[in-house]
Amino acid sequence: MDKKKLFVAMVVLAATVAWSGVSLAANPPGFDDNEIRIGQWGPQTGPAAPWGSVARGSKLLFDIVNEEGGINGRKIKYFIRDDMYNPAQTSAVVKELVERQGVFAFVGGVGSATGMAVKDYLAQNKIVWVGPSAADDNFIKPLNPYLFAVYPLYKDEASILAKYIVENLKSKKIAILYQNDAYGKDGLDGAKDRLATYRMQFVAEISVEPTEKDLGSQILRLKNSGADTVLMYVGPTTAAIALKTSANVGFKPQWVSSDTLSDYPLMFKITGGLWEGVITGAFGDIPTSTTNKYVVKYREAAKRLAPQERWGTFYMAGLLFADPIVDALKKAGRNLSTESLLKALNSVKGHQTLGPPVTWSEKQHQGTDSVMIQKCGPNGSYIELQGWTKNDLATWNK
Amino acid sequence: MPFGQLFVEGLAIGACYGLFATAVVIIYKTSEVVNFAQGEMAMFSTFVAFHILNFYGYPFWMAFLITMLFSIAMGVLIEFLFLRPAKHPTILGMIVITLGAEMFLMGLASWKWGAEQQFFALPINPSVTYEPIKGMIINNWSIAVLSVSSLIMLILFVFFKYTRLGTAMRATQQNKNAAKIMGIRTERVFSFAWGFSSLIGAIAGMFFASRATLDPAFMMEPFLRAFAAAVLGGLMSIPGVIIGGGLMGLIENYFGYIWPEWKPIVAFIVIVLVLCIKPSGLFAKHYVKKV
Repeated sequence: MDKKKLFVAMVVLAATVAWSGVSLAANPPGFDDNEIRIGQWGPQTGPAAPWGSVARGSKLLFDIVNEEGGINGRKIKYFIRDDMYNPAQTSAVVKELVERQGVFAFVGGVGSATGMAVKDYLAQNKIVWVGPSAADDNFIKPLNPYLFAVYPLYKDEASILAKYIVENLKSKKIAILYQNDAYGKDGLDGAKDRLATYRMQFVAEISVEPTEKDLGSQILRLKNSGADTVLMYVGPTTAAIALKTSANVGFKPQWVSSDTLSDYPLMFKITGGLWEGVITGAFGDIPTSTTNKYVVKYREAAKRLAPQERWGTFYMAGLLFADPIVDALKKAGRNLSTESLLKALNSVKGHQTLGPPVTWSEKQHQGTDSVMIQKCGPNGSYIELQGWTKNDLATWNK
Repeated sequence: MPFGQLFVEGLAIGACYGLFATAVVIIYKTSEVVNFAQGEMAMFSTFVAFHILNFYGYPFWMAFLITMLFSIAMGVLIEFLFLRPAKHPTILGMIVITLGAEMFLMGLASWKWGAEQQFFALPINPSVTYEPIKGMIINNWSIAVLSVSSLIMLILFVFFKYTRLGTAMRATQQNKNAAKIMGIRTERVFSFAWGFSSLIGAIAGMFFASRATLDPAFMMEPFLRAFAAAVLGGLMSIPGVIIGGGLMGLIENYFGYIWPEWKPIVAFIVIVLVLCIKPSGLFAKHYVKKV
């Protein structure tokens, strides 16, 4: 009797495994003769909703591509899913897109933790993912054959900013205010490596929790350190509190910040104008540029196709992160397959539109180590201080 | 270590915590409910002020007055709509209801004004600073916070001590049924407590928003700190709570200066220690365990 029960149990188990295997293998194909399906997750609601414009920016790019006739006779069908910046939600929406809708590739995707939640799942299902909207070492190391990064690493950016502070601003006393997480610590490490080459050290290294609303003591530490320049690797609210508190206690250093705060109109607004004069890194060209022909073209298209959207740094980033896949899909030709797309992506060399030149190879999927340096002018306007600059101390490409 | 300057900064933010903690205590004093929607009620009122200022362009004093009226109405309404319909709720049940109200308000604010940070300013120039004693720079924001919270404390002290309504509120807290028998309309007392608490919370919310930024989640952290300050002060005593807030601000700023990494938790460690020694908080007059 017991043996019989065991046998039944094993049959049920085997059937379940077989069935789930079938359901895995039976993901709908990502394209057909008429369309290629591409997806993106991003916070459209919840605390990180301001970054939701990235996913909507990519939509503009695909709308333009479709308007121009599509890619090799196929239109792009684009899906945006709201994950509320919650990794559990990201897993759910990505599964839905892969297993129900049949998605060929993903682009963008705001957040490190959200991306980490689906990175392995996408690789297992052989789904290509281009341009995560976050910088994270774990996206590029170890090499993931299906994942291609565009966003410059914070370590590289911090190193380039520190070089600019020492050589161009001639600063002698530099301090850093950093968020107590991977983002902040990457900034700290990158800048420290650079300062070491000048035999310099930070005069103060102050960490801050992203939720803190009172920075009185931190700002007084920075002030008493005698710093003339303060580098920031923090979120927008923390930066606004830091600048307001500094104004309150009569501390006026040169502020330098990471590219996460390069949306000048927003930062100018929430600091009540104190953002003017702040120098930041940038992962994309100036949104108001009149010399970059791609910026001009897409900005004009946005007025027509998405008049409700604000043409800002993060909206434009949506186009920037998704742009290389369009180019690669064209090169992959009419006879499309995951392999042909991977081959095209692995041979991208010096591809440049809205951001730095992007290069990928079969051994290296971090596309760039370059950032631009910009400064906030009156009324949240953009001033370019230094064009695309490579990090000569970068270690990931060695 | 800039002792004087840290004292000014700690006291100012502490007064802000204390002021907001008072709002928590007023509701607790009457109904023994910790209102977890307190932060979001303040957030919502601040957004209303923001809306009036930016979309109707009214002067600040007018926006302030309208917001105060709104916040009272909102407090009364939340009590009426969310808590009153619950039949014979337990304390835990009521707390869960306030959590529901919190999520409702946050969702509503995100829908109406978006999750993006907004700029909110009081009609004072925060960059104007004074240095009455060398090494102690004080700015308009701190002066405003300290004077407004002192004034409100004074009003509250007189109110609870000498007015009939204040006495009725205390009586309701101590024994709701006996208070009813004595002719106190306890439901009105609850409405009043919620309206009053919401008003004080809205004032504190405006101070917090002008120091940081305004977004639907901006009061979550200040609420936790204010609640901790209230526990430290004893949850029942208004002067105790304001002292609790001040202590919290000072401890955070002095320790935070020496060990910035420990700043967010040092005050909570102190509170745990205090509660181990004196479970009813520093200034509570009595500790009654209800069976």
